[in-house]
Amino acid sequence: MKNKIKVYRAMNDLSQEALANEVGVTRQTILAIENGKYDPSLILAARIAKFFKVRIDDVFLLDSIDE
Amino acid sequence: MKRNYFYLCVAAVAFFEVAIFWLSVELADPLPSVIAIVLGILGIYLAKMYIDEVIEDERTQKITEITALRTLQITWIGLFLFALWIIIDALGEGIRRFNRPLGIFGFRLLILLCGIIVLYVLLSLYYNKKFGA
Repeated sequence: MKNKIKVYRAMNDLSQEALANEVGVTRQTILAIENGKYDPSLILAARIAKFFKVRIDDVFLLDSIDE
Repeated sequence: MKRNYFYLCVAAVAFFEVAIFWLSVELADPLPSVIAIVLGILGIYLAKMYIDEVIEDERTQKITEITALRTLQITWIGLFLFALWIIIDALGEGIRRFNRPLGIFGFRLLILLCGIIVLYVLLSLYYNKKFGA
């Protein structure tokens, strides 16, 4: 799964640490999601999208339906 | 409480545990050690509740789950092979020359491994029910 967290962070001038604190995870988790090494749960994805005031599929997108 | 203070608490508890362990050895009484371990676990659990920062989240929980499962699998297979090795070794010279202490140890280990499987199945049934099956 790809994501645009880095883009939204840059748009909101937010560090990984600050975003992590806002959505209640560790900075390492945000880093792992940004690098595509960890796919967040639906709840965490929803929290991140809600924080940026966008829809989940604006931030997260599947590479392909089969994935 | 900051994360680093929590780690200092854990180190203090570990130091306390070692001290009590030596006291237990000196007194030749395991009870102080057992009580100290229970208190230590409770202390760490309580200290963990007062951490302001996030030190555990869904990713660390997933890592813990996978690590625990792999550890269980590797340990179980390793101990099973070890138990088989011991039993075959004990029976190696025929049933009449059965190496009794070694064989009994091997069979006890096998019983323990069967117990682990039973516990695994029971917990699996419980969590299956809990999560909607």
